[in-house]
Amino acid sequence: MSQEAAYIFSPEQLQYKFHNEHPFNQHRLSITNDLLMKLGALSPETILPARKATIDELLLIHDEDYVQAVIGAAEGQSRSSYRTTFGIGTEDTPVFPHMHDAAAWLVGGTLAAVDYVFDNGYKHALNLGGGLHHGFRGKASGFCIYNDSSIAIEYIRKKYDARVLYVDTDAHHGDGVQWAFYNDPDVCTLSFHESGRFLFPGTGHVNERGHGDGYGYSFNIPFEAFTEDESWLVAYKAAMREVTEYFKPDIILTQNGADAHYYDPLTHLCGTINIFHEIPKLAHELAHEFCDGKWIAVGGGGYDIWRVVPRAWSLIWLEMSEQKEALKQSIPKVWLDNWQEEAPVQLPPEWYDPKGLYPMIPRKKEIEKKNERTLLKALKPIYDHQKKVKS
Amino acid sequence: MSVNVRDIMKKDIIVAQRNMPVSEALDLMKTHKIRHLPIVNKQNEILGIVSDRDLRDAAPSIFDEKHKEFINLPVSKVMIENVITALPLDFVEESANTMTENQISCLPVEEDGVLAGIITETDLLHTLVRLTGAAMPTSRLEIEVPNESGQLSEVSNIIKDHQINIQSVLVYQSFSDNTKKILVFRVQCMDMRPLLKSLKEANYKIIWPTELEMKP
Ligand SMILES: [Zn+2]
Ligand SMILES: [Zn+2]
Repeated sequence: MSQEAAYIFSPEQLQYKFHNEHPFNQHRLSITNDLLMKLGALSPETILPARKATIDELLLIHDEDYVQAVIGAAEGQSRSSYRTTFGIGTEDTPVFPHMHDAAAWLVGGTLAAVDYVFDNGYKHALNLGGGLHHGFRGKASGFCIYNDSSIAIEYIRKKYDARVLYVDTDAHHGDGVQWAFYNDPDVCTLSFHESGRFLFPGTGHVNERGHGDGYGYSFNIPFEAFTEDESWLVAYKAAMREVTEYFKPDIILTQNGADAHYYDPLTHLCGTINIFHEIPKLAHELAHEFCDGKWIAVGGGGYDIWRVVPRAWSLIWLEMSEQKEALKQSIPKVWLDNWQEEAPVQLPPEWYDPKGLYPMIPRKKEIEKKNERTLLKALKPIYDHQKKVKS
Repeated sequence: MSVNVRDIMKKDIIVAQRNMPVSEALDLMKTHKIRHLPIVNKQNEILGIVSDRDLRDAAPSIFDEKHKEFINLPVSKVMIENVITALPLDFVEESANTMTENQISCLPVEEDGVLAGIITETDLLHTLVRLTGAAMPTSRLEIEVPNESGQLSEVSNIIKDHQINIQSVLVYQSFSDNTKKILVFRVQCMDMRPLLKSLKEANYKIIWPTELEMKP
């Protein structure tokens, strides 16, 4: 196992829990940890702790009155402004006890990842509890209270003055992070998601390229609904490499929402586990090629917590810590036995999905064509720039 | 869309008099984090405008002896005169056009000959984004209803029961069936499943989100 990679987790991160029926369920962290341990790819002694983000750290991004509202709501106060102004207490983002503490622990995990990489000699760090990319400066949105990635990026900018490439492969547009750095030329955001025409939050159009000094440092690849592996991966591989070469970041931060899979109940993409084999592989490669290895990965969405998330997220760690030989074995039987009773669905026995997971997509050709055009449009400024340099 | 410049302009404006040295003007813009500084006379009439970018571009290098000379000049020597302005009752999209056509990123607003406000590209962008609802995180919900009165309010009531905000609504006649209407909502929520369940229970035909056949 490579000593270059830090796996971050603290039990406090499990307290980020709205209620039993809510789709955002950090139980997936326990299920994933267990899969990695049963594989022999992680042991309790090697897990590094997260920490609780301080108020000052939250204020790197969030407004003071918003943080106060979250603290107030967590203590049981209730005001009508909480829902309308701050987005807390909605059907998506209900109030729960200790919500401030729990959310601050998720943020602290991502901040710890930053410190492990910049101060403690690790090349890579993984905080699967993070990736809450919909959080806005002054408003909760889409299950996200505090935006750990935005805070971590601002923290990196302030403390280490490094230029950050943020890559978001969650099926939903990474709106919170994009808008937080929309004017900033030192932070480049690249989001791959199901088109806003079909899916929340509705943004992430190709034309959203940044503003002012930040113009040209925001990239969006919106996919058609029912996009499949091949089309998704063509765009991912091309855009990842082009944008990294163009921006030349000092560090790459990847958000690894696992909801682009066909099984995900909230989205309409038709990815299989294939794409989750490829996502961390290329991120890892580019980090070594351009950033002296500096790569932080966080979790994100992912609402099939049994068949998709544990495998998708284990794959990040296996890639990061160079333990992919573990994939030669099937999913450990001890893990399957451990969870099958609790799982309402049949757990997957293998690292790849079987063929014919879903029915034929009727508009397949049209979808591929449309995605191809979207990719070209998104990368046009880079291609134009390359032409100019050549001539 | 008819929002007036008056509705979005900034009214507390930082200004300079014509004799302010360039160095002070730069400091003033830096302190207030603004990019443009209108130059006015005692009557608050607009004489000119300077931008931090123009000034920095025009300034000789710090190592050049002319640098000191430049930053001590009064702004009236370097300002742009014949300023293009907007009027308070101009429509926002007119001003957007003016800025694009003249390649400028700020318009002072003039009322009865004096400076009344200022709008910048950023203000315009925020306004346009707000008008189209694009900055509000929303999901698309598309429902087919019988072409009868009261349908919109019934569906809206179900959405309200879930305490979900409606950002925008579009109603149109179904292309395929003229006894039907299509309602397209943008609603402020990410997980629409509880709402969809209620709508199905009320026998509404949901067109989007749709699922692939057999999706488990
Ligand atoms: Zn998502
Ligand atoms: Zn490595």
